[in-house]
Amino acid sequence: MPPIPTRAITIIGFVILVAAIFALEILARRPGSRIPTVGQWLGYLMRPKLGRFLILLGWWWIGWHYFAR
Amino acid sequence: MARDGTPAPRDRPSSWASRLPWARRPVHPVLAAAIGAGLAAYAWVAGSAAPFSRGAFLAVLIPAAVIALIACIRPPQRIPPPERLDVLGTSYWLIVLTAFFEWEASAYKDNSWPWHPSFTDLINPLMGPHVIKSAAILVWILAGWALVRR
Repeated sequence: MPPIPTRAITIIGFVILVAAIFALEILARRPGSRIPTVGQWLGYLMRPKLGRFLILLGWWWIGWHYFAR
Repeated sequence: MARDGTPAPRDRPSSWASRLPWARRPVHPVLAAAIGAGLAAYAWVAGSAAPFSRGAFLAVLIPAAVIALIACIRPPQRIPPPERLDVLGTSYWLIVLTAFFEWEASAYKDNSWPWHPSFTDLINPLMGPHVIKSAAILVWILAGWALVRR
């Protein structure tokens, strides 16, 4: 059996982690779930003005990073 | 309290944001459709900008400026955040997000594309088709609006 190339391992790792993010969001939306949704923990982090500023800055950075570069 | 039994304005439980005239007004469907079409058109034009160009920079700067302006001048009614988060439930998010950033950081540190590509290296080729990039820009703008409402 040929060894799995490093590139494939890296991609599999990202796929697993992105799938885990979606799985957590689905689990969080079940009634009575203790897991917060993305919107809930982001809202919690955005309660102070500094948190609000940093989260919105992060949102802008994502746009700049992926669409302007 | 007023004489007719209705509570005086100062007696009503309300925040300053909820007293704004536009805060609770539902958006007319035609207006919502027009805004959606405008955003889609903007995303289509923004998606055609060449990377590292002034147009591409402005394409991401303008939505951020508009959203920041709306957040400061005419904030929409915010979705109340939770008072507290469950520690165990939040720890699942922390574990997954930490693992993601660690995986990304190791790829960034190794700088060994194509053997150990970063998440950006994997996403960028997917953004090649104009329609995909435009759709991603539209999702990004809508995510920004959703964040302002939080």
